[in-house]
Amino acid sequence: MRVPLSKVFVLASRDYIHEWQMSFCFVLALAAVLGPMMVLFGLKFGIVGAMVDQLIEDPGNREIRPVSSGRFDRTWLESVRKRSDVAFLVPRTRSIAATIELGSEGSSRHVRAELIPSDEGDPMLSPQGERPEGVTRIVLSRSAAEKLQVEVGDTLDGSLARQYRGHKERVHLPLTVAAVAPARAFSRDGAFVSVSLLEALEDFRDGRAVPRMGWDGDGEKNARTYPSFRLYARSIYDVAGLRDAFAKLGVDVKTHAADIELVQRMNRNLTAIYWVIAVIGLFGFSLSLGASLWANVDRKRKELSVLRLVGFRTMDIAWFPMVQALYTAIFGWALAVGLYQAVASVINEMMASQLIEGQQVCRLLLHHYGIALGLTCASAVIAAGLAGLRSAHIEPSASLRDL
Amino acid sequence: MSHSFADSWGLLVFGTWHHNMNTSDSSPSQSRGALVYYVRDVVKTREAEGVAFRLKVPSLQIAMGEKIALVGESGCGKSTLLDILAFILKPSSVGAFRFRPERDGEPLDMDAYWRSGKLNQLGDLRKRYLGYVMQTGGLLPYLTVRENMDLCRSVLGLKHDGTIEHLAEQLGIVKHLNKLPDALSTGERQRVAIGRALAHRPSIVIADEPTASLDPYAAQKIMSHFMDLVEELNITVILASHAWRHIKELGLRRLHHRTVRSTDTNLTETIVSG
Repeated sequence: MRVPLSKVFVLASRDYIHEWQMSFCFVLALAAVLGPMMVLFGLKFGIVGAMVDQLIEDPGNREIRPVSSGRFDRTWLESVRKRSDVAFLVPRTRSIAATIELGSEGSSRHVRAELIPSDEGDPMLSPQGERPEGVTRIVLSRSAAEKLQVEVGDTLDGSLARQYRGHKERVHLPLTVAAVAPARAFSRDGAFVSVSLLEALEDFRDGRAVPRMGWDGDGEKNARTYPSFRLYARSIYDVAGLRDAFAKLGVDVKTHAADIELVQRMNRNLTAIYWVIAVIGLFGFSLSLGASLWANVDRKRKELSVLRLVGFRTMDIAWFPMVQALYTAIFGWALAVGLYQAVASVINEMMASQLIEGQQVCRLLLHHYGIALGLTCASAVIAAGLAGLRSAHIEPSASLRDL
Repeated sequence: MSHSFADSWGLLVFGTWHHNMNTSDSSPSQSRGALVYYVRDVVKTREAEGVAFRLKVPSLQIAMGEKIALVGESGCGKSTLLDILAFILKPSSVGAFRFRPERDGEPLDMDAYWRSGKLNQLGDLRKRYLGYVMQTGGLLPYLTVRENMDLCRSVLGLKHDGTIEHLAEQLGIVKHLNKLPDALSTGERQRVAIGRALAHRPSIVIADEPTASLDPYAAQKIMSHFMDLVEELNITVILASHAWRHIKELGLRRLHHRTVRSTDTNLTETIVSG
């Protein structure tokens, strides 16, 4: 014949409300611990997040490039491209051959453009923009486009020369501006072009025939190898792993892994420091709530023994501090969330001028609030467990007449 | 028991035997067939700071519907006996301790409950069959008068049937039903406590100096209300009081008891029987 839990719940709630001043103090005490902890975590999360965002924002941080030139064949490159941690890979032709003279109708200037091999999914180009395609459509760098005074859709005249069988030869090819790359993609005069165009240009310079372009030469090249490649890892966190994988394959690469690791290490260190503070804080809160609940059992000894007297069982009584501690946890958490949001908005306001649009120096995700609530409830339940154990041992006869 | 206070010098006798001072109308012998309590050779020993206290009950039988009075100075062991009878205090040793709350039910062996540590079952018995009026209210400060009076009923899952209002009317506290105990005078709170002890129609009501904190006039009034109600509901009453003159008009059977204090062994012993 247990007392229904709902009855226990109602009585514990009534008691909690009746002693609202005391309850409010508990709630304040909790919010005073939890609020600053949330601000701290918000700052850590926001600052590290902003740094990570900046790393992610610039795809250049994901680039991996060989230090010296090698001889990479299509099969090998294809096997690397298929790795799950590789987002983008195109072969590079020899850089000495990867240039072209560009001229336009709108400008008298000729521009010597560096050519960058590109393909579908090039992380340096804007994802909505047109891709370089075939041997005619190219994407100009901003600087080249400005010098040539051309826009998307305009036609360019590309030309290149070679020293062939003792005399100088120059060929022209018509090119179309498919898109203009974002400024940060390439800062010098250059163009993103398809690998097949680069291969054609390289062959021409090597004195070989390129039948599809109508260029004469000493026969076609068969087994092509590439001295280098453009590779982008899927995420900044894959960079270090890829670097190590290349090291194993004997390919020395240059990466931004050090910068990424710096941020990661900072994140780890800040997280560790944060957790030390959080654990101490929550432990302290647990202790103080436990102590006050414990003292509460003493204070309410008579009331609790009255309940014992009218037949409340051990477990029924133990629920009392539990229910009340959970109230404190939930209200304290809600107040802490309010405090946090007020402080965070002030901090973000103060820092707004130094941040990019939409970035926040102090921020939490929805599930962080959930975790905070869960941890608070857990520590409250532990604290209440001790007090509950104590209140369950109240002897009605010993306490009824004490007061 | 090795110690015999009768042989002891230095005895200080301040309790008295009450030979046949039974003023109750109901003779115990008439109702012996329906005993609520049957107690034989129950002893409770307590020790604190070198002072020992012992309550001995060689024989006590309380019949259904009886109104019992336990009169004595504070510290003589009245409360100890009440607590044993209310199953909230474990006796040190028991010859026999039987409790039969229902007229046609089997008597329950309370000693067995205590020995096997079935405290929750003792709680269930209290909840169902006992009403307890404490010296000072013992009301829950966070519940209204109505909710306080309804506490035992709601714990038992009894429906609202006007009992509370009826009791409140008889106790003269109708206008206080929706107030919190803090807003009431001591006397009013005591009335609420009485109402709470009776509201779930217990078989037995145990009252420990229910009017000790009241002025004699109010005390008398409340006690007569109380007696009217228990008479009406046919409830067995066990009442403790420090002064017989306060309750002698109520028609209670007075239990015999004798208290002796041995100064050389620091032992106070009370022997109750009836």
